[in-house]
Amino acid sequence: MDDSLEQPSYQPHPPKVSFEDNDNENEELSSGDEDEGPDWTKLPTVSRPVIPKRGDKDFEPNADGGSNFQKHVLDRSRNAMLEALRTERNTSSKSISYGIWYPSLARTHVTTARGIHFTNMGHSVARSTSLPSENDTAKVPKRLELLPEEALYLVERGSMFCWKESEGHLGLPGMEGEPMSVQQTFAEMIGTEDLTLEKYQVYAYLKRLGYVVMRTKPPTSAYPAAAPFDKKVPPKQSILAKLFSRIHSVLLGLGRMIFQPKFNWWRPLKHSPLFRFNMNYSSVFRSLRFLPGGHGAPLHVKPLQDSSSSPYEIFYNIYKPSTNLKKSSPPAPDFSVVVINARTTPVPNLVELTNLFDVLPDLPPPVPRQRLAFAEQKKLAQATASSTPAMTSTVTPPSEISTSGPPPKNLSIFNKLFSWILPSSSAQSSPVTRQGRPSQQQRRPNPFAVLKSGKKLVVIAAVDASNISFFAFRQGLFEEFPMV
Amino acid sequence: MTDTNAHKIELGVSNNKAYVWDVDDVYLLRAKHHICGVLTGTLPHVSQQNVFLGLPLILLPEEVVLLLEKNLAVIIDDPKAHKQPTPSQLKKWNNARISSVKAQIAQTQGGGEKVDDPKVALKSMSEEAIRKRKEREEKRAIAAAAAKAKAITEGLVIDGVEAGAGANDIQLSSSTSNPIDERSSTPTPSLSPSIDPSTSKTPYTVNIPTDSAPSFEWYSTSESTYTSISEAKKAGIWTYPETLHERAKCGVFNDLWEKGYYMGGGIKFGGDYLVYPGDPMRYHSHFAATVHDSPIEKLRPMEIVSHGRLGTATKKAHLLCGWDDEKSEVSYYSIEWAGFG
Repeated sequence: MDDSLEQPSYQPHPPKVSFEDNDNENEELSSGDEDEGPDWTKLPTVSRPVIPKRGDKDFEPNADGGSNFQKHVLDRSRNAMLEALRTERNTSSKSISYGIWYPSLARTHVTTARGIHFTNMGHSVARSTSLPSENDTAKVPKRLELLPEEALYLVERGSMFCWKESEGHLGLPGMEGEPMSVQQTFAEMIGTEDLTLEKYQVYAYLKRLGYVVMRTKPPTSAYPAAAPFDKKVPPKQSILAKLFSRIHSVLLGLGRMIFQPKFNWWRPLKHSPLFRFNMNYSSVFRSLRFLPGGHGAPLHVKPLQDSSSSPYEIFYNIYKPSTNLKKSSPPAPDFSVVVINARTTPVPNLVELTNLFDVLPDLPPPVPRQRLAFAEQKKLAQATASSTPAMTSTVTPPSEISTSGPPPKNLSIFNKLFSWILPSSSAQSSPVTRQGRPSQQQRRPNPFAVLKSGKKLVVIAAVDASNISFFAFRQGLFEEFPMV
Repeated sequence: MTDTNAHKIELGVSNNKAYVWDVDDVYLLRAKHHICGVLTGTLPHVSQQNVFLGLPLILLPEEVVLLLEKNLAVIIDDPKAHKQPTPSQLKKWNNARISSVKAQIAQTQGGGEKVDDPKVALKSMSEEAIRKRKEREEKRAIAAAAAKAKAITEGLVIDGVEAGAGANDIQLSSSTSNPIDERSSTPTPSLSPSIDPSTSKTPYTVNIPTDSAPSFEWYSTSESTYTSISEAKKAGIWTYPETLHERAKCGVFNDLWEKGYYMGGGIKFGGDYLVYPGDPMRYHSHFAATVHDSPIEKLRPMEIVSHGRLGTATKKAHLLCGWDDEKSEVSYYSIEWAGFG
């Protein structure tokens, strides 16, 4: 075989120190054909993270279990795989971290923290240790602790040596407990603190891609999870505004009574003969829409089981690698991930999806793409990335959403008066476009892009016997974009 | 053990999942027993990607059932097999660790002396570099302090800048002090510097053992080995198969396996399994199989259409496998687009 062709010569980045390689080494993995497994012969043996191309496969072995050539190639692949599997986790003493696993707490206490991982992993907990320590003062010392999945991931990638808490004092130099192998770590840590194998596999998968992954529901109060999204609270109104809105609705009702007769099933077009000049397509379609639509309308499906026992619960908060994350007070996540076992869990039903979407924030409409040359785009991205990394992302962090989401509160009374005196713009769609987006008036986004991206997004990771598939479920908003 | 074969593969089971930790067993399963499993661990030397994954190999529950029924493997209650080590075992382990570290240090240092010039020079260079860095840092600190003082004297004009710098300082100190505190607050049990290698300046390699059996004397499988599924079920460490559908899956898997096929997970192709004519590493799958609990189970036309469509688009035939629970037989039907136009 031509080995020079198989060695990928393209190096996207210069080789780096092993612990710095987590963010920018991720190449876009094209998995067009998922059936094509990785070709282990193309795995580089040097410690340089370059993702080789997938290999080609044959249709089937020839008669008698394959020709000699097929056998040779297969053996070569197998041996490459075994060689890779035999790699030991050998880490320099200068860069390895140490931790002690406390099975009773389901936490790993990091005694030596080295490397870049601890900028977004672990949390500090005040624990009164029974161990005699020199600075055992009145103040309870804080210490860095890892959740089971964090510790397991660090052990698995060879960044941390884990000891197990041992009863009694070991009088052995350099040992903080009983040593743990990777095997033991898997056997003992999974199954604690709500961590299932599926959840760990999703965690590790995303971590390997460089994402920052945190729990959505804090296991203890010491864990700094992102605050839950604000429930859609109606903006606070002053008494005067309330009064106005009351009058508004009354007047509106009156107006309906006068101008639009009661809904008649046989004549759904609600146009009084007096105002026939007002008829156009949009008003006709609007009056034909006599069923309440949209996600604001209540569900008429009764939940079969109570929602608390549903496996569809958001488990992880995901942050993009570029996020400047402060781990003690993480911002609202870029993505919310639900992990389910695809072998035991059916596709989510309407109630489950609605419950999921109810806790999620509204996403802003996708920014209309500006047509720029590639070089300009790159320049722009670099410029903005250096100042505010979130600006370029298509999914703006919800901190910005919250500012753009609710209607502007501080409208003057005059404006409000104005808006209900001229009801044509706002009153006709009060439940529908409740979000008075100022930008929408300026430049209406492409409806197809908005429909496709939806308003809310939840990622469901379905794990079927270690095969992880990520599905994005989006809540659409068809009622806001009538095609007329 | 009373096995006729020389070697039974040990499947470490915890939380109802079966792991294989031995590389030779992975090979044996794949090459001899046509069992692939799924590699799910992080490969330590290429840890930031998901294309190539390493140990552990996690087996599908059907594979576990098959291996036990064929007497090819045993189930180990893995958490139980990790026994409490005795002090003497720990001491032995630690002595081995320390002597290995010492050997490493001696080798690097000895090597340095032997080759004389370059390494010694390198060492002194590094020492000098450290000194220089220290000096540089001190200088910078002095400069910063001076700048701060200047800013204070100049008052309001650079107030914002000064405040920003202050905030920076605070952030820096808070982030750096944390791990140091962590380190100092933990009591390191009476280290004598002559014995403990962790105080050594020379870096050495720390090895995190992958599987327990070769590294830990106290890992013992003798009391937590189960040779059949029913035994393991009785002991409460394994539950599969429980339902009719799970039994059907095991039956179909078993039947296809006996026909010499390799099976992989088929969820990405709308099936239960992908059926390969040879090792999936080298050959494409021919079928995407779905398991049906009964040979007379009703199918909706939409299912047939979607199976046929997906199978054709991915150059596979869809295989409908009907399990007859009474006769323990499987009947197969495949769907393909006829292609008349």
